[in-house]
Amino acid sequence: MSRVINGLKENGTPYFFLLPCIVILGALLSVPLYKVVEYSLYDNVIVERNPTFVGLQNYSNLLTDSAFWSASVNTLIFTLGSVIGHIIVGTGLALLVNAEIHPRAQTVFRSLLILPWIFTAVVVALNWQLLLNPFGVINYGLTEIGLIDTPIDWLGDPAFAMWALLLISTWRGYPFIMVSFLSGLQSIPKELYEAAEIDGAGFFAKFWHVTVPQLKPVIYGVALLDLIWTFQLFPLVWLTTGGGPGRSTEVLSTMTFRQGFVDFEFSQAATTAVSILIISAAFTILYLRNEKQKI
Amino acid sequence: MSKIEIKKLVKRYGEHQALHGIDISIPQGEFCVLVGPSGCGKSTTLRMVAGLETISGGDVVIGDRVVNGLKAKDRGIAMVFQNYALYPAKTVYNNMAFSLQLSKMPKPEIAKRIADVAEILELTPLLDRKPGALSGGQRQRVAMGRAIVRDPEVFLFDEPLSNLDAKLRGQMRAEIKRLHQRLKNTIIYVTHDQVEAMTLADKIVIMKDGRIEQQGTPDEVFHDPDTLFVAGFMGSPPMNLIECFATDKGIKLPSVEIACDMPSAVRPGDKLVFGIRSDDIRPAEDGFEGVSISANVNLIEQLGTENLVHFSLGPDEMIGKTGGRTRITPNQEVSFTLQMQHAYFFDPETGRRLR
Repeated sequence: MSRVINGLKENGTPYFFLLPCIVILGALLSVPLYKVVEYSLYDNVIVERNPTFVGLQNYSNLLTDSAFWSASVNTLIFTLGSVIGHIIVGTGLALLVNAEIHPRAQTVFRSLLILPWIFTAVVVALNWQLLLNPFGVINYGLTEIGLIDTPIDWLGDPAFAMWALLLISTWRGYPFIMVSFLSGLQSIPKELYEAAEIDGAGFFAKFWHVTVPQLKPVIYGVALLDLIWTFQLFPLVWLTTGGGPGRSTEVLSTMTFRQGFVDFEFSQAATTAVSILIISAAFTILYLRNEKQKI
Repeated sequence: MSKIEIKKLVKRYGEHQALHGIDISIPQGEFCVLVGPSGCGKSTTLRMVAGLETISGGDVVIGDRVVNGLKAKDRGIAMVFQNYALYPAKTVYNNMAFSLQLSKMPKPEIAKRIADVAEILELTPLLDRKPGALSGGQRQRVAMGRAIVRDPEVFLFDEPLSNLDAKLRGQMRAEIKRLHQRLKNTIIYVTHDQVEAMTLADKIVIMKDGRIEQQGTPDEVFHDPDTLFVAGFMGSPPMNLIECFATDKGIKLPSVEIACDMPSAVRPGDKLVFGIRSDDIRPAEDGFEGVSISANVNLIEQLGTENLVHFSLGPDEMIGKTGGRTRITPNQEVSFTLQMQHAYFFDPETGRRLR
């Protein structure tokens, strides 16, 4: 015993510093994680004092529920659409703010374009609701220039709600990609562009043959990370469309919330949450493997 | 293949003027080396010929065309960069093929050209590799191959050997020289290494602070320097340069008077810089003819075939030369012979040579 204590005295300092982190991770991550998996195996947890163990019944319910499948499809559309939107807008803007212009203007544009990232989701959601409102600025602008005849309820019309949501999500998420790509762009040696210039490459050839291959490792890692984040994104969807109208923008995260805190079906909510967990974990493993390769 | 004329070339970066009217004329097939310390404007000049820097004044003429406004790709040039600038994601083959692919050359012809060039440069077994899997010397050869396949009118080299170790640098230097003899292209080659300049060049242009100090054959700039700077820059070890006064019989150094013929423009009492190469300072035992001085040896640098002898002459340190089998040792009083017919004199104010 004294040897253990002595060993700790000698080598324990790093563990001592790690302790708060371990406690927080254990208490705030592992316990809820365990609980959610446990809940998904019982019936009527939380509302009933003595829930009954039902095994995988909740999972078979989930897989036969058409709402789950439509939410899955919506999640897929929302996630892929957002990530593609982030990459296109983020890449374009990264190229623009990487251009050689007056240094002060460069700083101003870089700072301005990062702004969407620093607002909380609530502020973003409320502002876009105002903008996209039938009586909002966007409808006013579009009718003024004659693109539409009557105002459209962008977030309330099942035909447009997902598109509007993707617009908001793209606006909100591109700065992360932009900043990551910008640092990637800045690390590309100038001589490569000069060599390509002498070889006769135009703007697109340079982009395709120099920029993209050089950014590839960054693109892959950042896109996966974005995929993981967007896949489980909740506040932006919940606060703009709330999954509606009807179920037209219902994603797995809003479905989980609805099952739990609207319908009080906590077991079913836990089951849906576990399905999100499994898919997110798969992406995360891919991401970690990619990062490891880079090292 | 064409000649290059650089006429009154000026480069300004805002307030700062980097080049003050550079004039260089390079006949077709000549190997021209721009040499000078860093910041002298040699790379800027090269990049302006390449079309990578805008021209603030003057003209660049390649062949019979003024190319000032032309894009880099339309100037008929190919360039080899200091750190090679190979496309890391492309194979050696595709690195070399890129410019030809962009110019829409038929595939079989591209393949044939690359095969030929790869043969010359011994790159054939490496064609499928990516630059990351090559050694420094191999990358250097790929960079040269990429330039050669385009069959350009003019080759531009921007310090291409400075990232290689000494031995490889010697090999590549010879390879570049051989290549030039074979292809006979017009070449502009930038380096800060005066040995490279001496060995490669048909014409050396020595630059300093955005101006040309002197241009001429390696022999001319080495044996007949126009300025103090050129005298000190060319040659290793550098020329011995010592401040002195003219007398009616020769020169007066702080510790010794040396009798010699003086340039006609010099009057007794004038302040001068006296220059002499270490090759022309020999220990008396080597049996050369000249003016004898006696000095204390500080240091022997052994180079194998020859030894450099550092000695003090009053407050000045000088370097002489002797054979590799000398028995001179440090802290020994030795008599040296100065071959004063090979001495140079410079005006300390203007740095111009006094003839």
